[in-house]
Amino acid sequence: MMRQWWWKISGVLILLYTIILGLLTPLKPGIVKIHNTQVTSGEVAEIEIVGYNTHFDEASQNKAYLRLENEKYLPSTNAISHSFNEITYIFDIPHFPESGEKIVVASLIINNEIDGSAVLPASVFIQQAPVPGAIHEGAFIDNLSGLVDPGWSFRFPYRSILHETIRNTFFHITLWFSMFIMLGTGVFYAIRYLKYRRVNDDLKSRALTSVSVLFGLLGLITGSIWARFTWGTWWTPDVKLNMTAVAMLIYLAYFVLRSSIKDQDQEARLASVYNVFAFVALIPLVFVIPRLTDSLHPGSGGNPALGGEDLDNTLRLVFYPAILGFTLLGIWMTSLYYRILNVKEKLLEKT
Amino acid sequence: MVNRILHIIAKDFRVEFRQKHAIAGILLFAVTVVFIVFKTFNTFTSQEWALLLWILVLFSGINAVVKSFLQESKGTYLYYYTLLDPVEVVLSKLVYNFLLCFVLFLVILGCMALFSGYPVRDHVLFFSSSLLGLAGISIVYTMISALAATGGHSGTLMSILSLPLVLPVLLLLIKTTAVALGLLTDSTVSTDLLLLAGIDGVLISICLILFPIVWKS
Repeated sequence: MMRQWWWKISGVLILLYTIILGLLTPLKPGIVKIHNTQVTSGEVAEIEIVGYNTHFDEASQNKAYLRLENEKYLPSTNAISHSFNEITYIFDIPHFPESGEKIVVASLIINNEIDGSAVLPASVFIQQAPVPGAIHEGAFIDNLSGLVDPGWSFRFPYRSILHETIRNTFFHITLWFSMFIMLGTGVFYAIRYLKYRRVNDDLKSRALTSVSVLFGLLGLITGSIWARFTWGTWWTPDVKLNMTAVAMLIYLAYFVLRSSIKDQDQEARLASVYNVFAFVALIPLVFVIPRLTDSLHPGSGGNPALGGEDLDNTLRLVFYPAILGFTLLGIWMTSLYYRILNVKEKLLEKT
Repeated sequence: MVNRILHIIAKDFRVEFRQKHAIAGILLFAVTVVFIVFKTFNTFTSQEWALLLWILVLFSGINAVVKSFLQESKGTYLYYYTLLDPVEVVLSKLVYNFLLCFVLFLVILGCMALFSGYPVRDHVLFFSSSLLGLAGISIVYTMISALAATGGHSGTLMSILSLPLVLPVLLLLIKTTAVALGLLTDSTVSTDLLLLAGIDGVLISICLILFPIVWKS
């Protein structure tokens, strides 16, 4: 099977699919910026926003809603679009003394017939005027049945901090996934070597571990670039990040161990033992500890984990094939490296 | 089996005390380093205290454990190999190294307490987490020293291989120590202790499985 072509070709095709679809699919419209976030009850408020991937000037039914905490919605009375991504919504904000608080936090929902809807949660702060005026009970509506829907289109979700970098999901995370798949296979071959003492198994384990370390380093680099754009720094003191750096150190030490031993049989045996030991030590390192302490990564510190609302169906459609594609590419690289190692081994035996 | 393990441990202690310079050297190293650190810092905050304590234990621990498979000649090991089960050997070495690390820990702790005070508030938590953490550290060190000793270049190889592996234990330890020192308030500290015990358990079982393979060479 390893010598056949179909899986290599399908791996490359899947990666092409990932790259083309992952990089070319547009994002859903979103709200980038909101100018006046503080409004007072009783006034006519102008809320100016900057949108992303929106068509405010082409759409004729621009409308916005303020969603209050008690599931009431306040529709805008008018909307003036300045360009495709700039628009001013006008709200006639009533007094609503029933929630005894001084400041009410509202989410802004915008909607038109071309872009559909976009939400900016907890973005508008409505301050109660000191002198309560007349209460417009009828100003609020109970549901959003008035939303216009442009129909389904294949687009990635817009997330406020991520913006376009959401596409890195297909590279950064999938590289980790395939790294772990290959590390696990490498440990499997290390155990098999320890059991049957066949040199081939050790070479496979070595090739797999080498390629996984390469993928791990690529994962670190893509993660670092991602962190620069979302969190603002190349390197953060985030646990998961530093744990992974340590994991890389552990596996780099594996290669130091390999190169430091002269006797080949001993090298294979000790390296296999270290590989198994390191993998076991890695499990608490990468999976357990980051879940205990706060992390900026999904899965802890209030961030949702994979499979929650983080990954919507359009992303899944690219994400899961991408894991398969990177793993197939990794196996291809491994098989090439394994053949090089095998040839070297044979040459060594001849001399 | 327990009897034989105890015998090996007793023998190791006798060998250790016969070569007094080795153990004295390690202890002197620990005391000197604590003194140097104290003189450069003069006063520590509790956080630095916790960090320095564990870093010193970690590094003097490497020095102490690295020779556990080197202090006797190859002939002696061949003799053990014919006589003993590898599991007994590794268990006795583990217990011995654990005791050695514990003594080192106590000496360093005593020196730090002498020079810069003793900020621990929750003694039970501090000592229980320290014991669990020392167990984890000594398991990793023992396993890696066995690997490094068979590989040849033990000194450098030992520190390169073992320090990253010891890190999960160390991070948990620093956290629990911080809680014991009153720097952090954390209600989930019992989970951390359980996790430490879990890591120890996993490491010890993998060590028992893998050591016989290393032992054969």
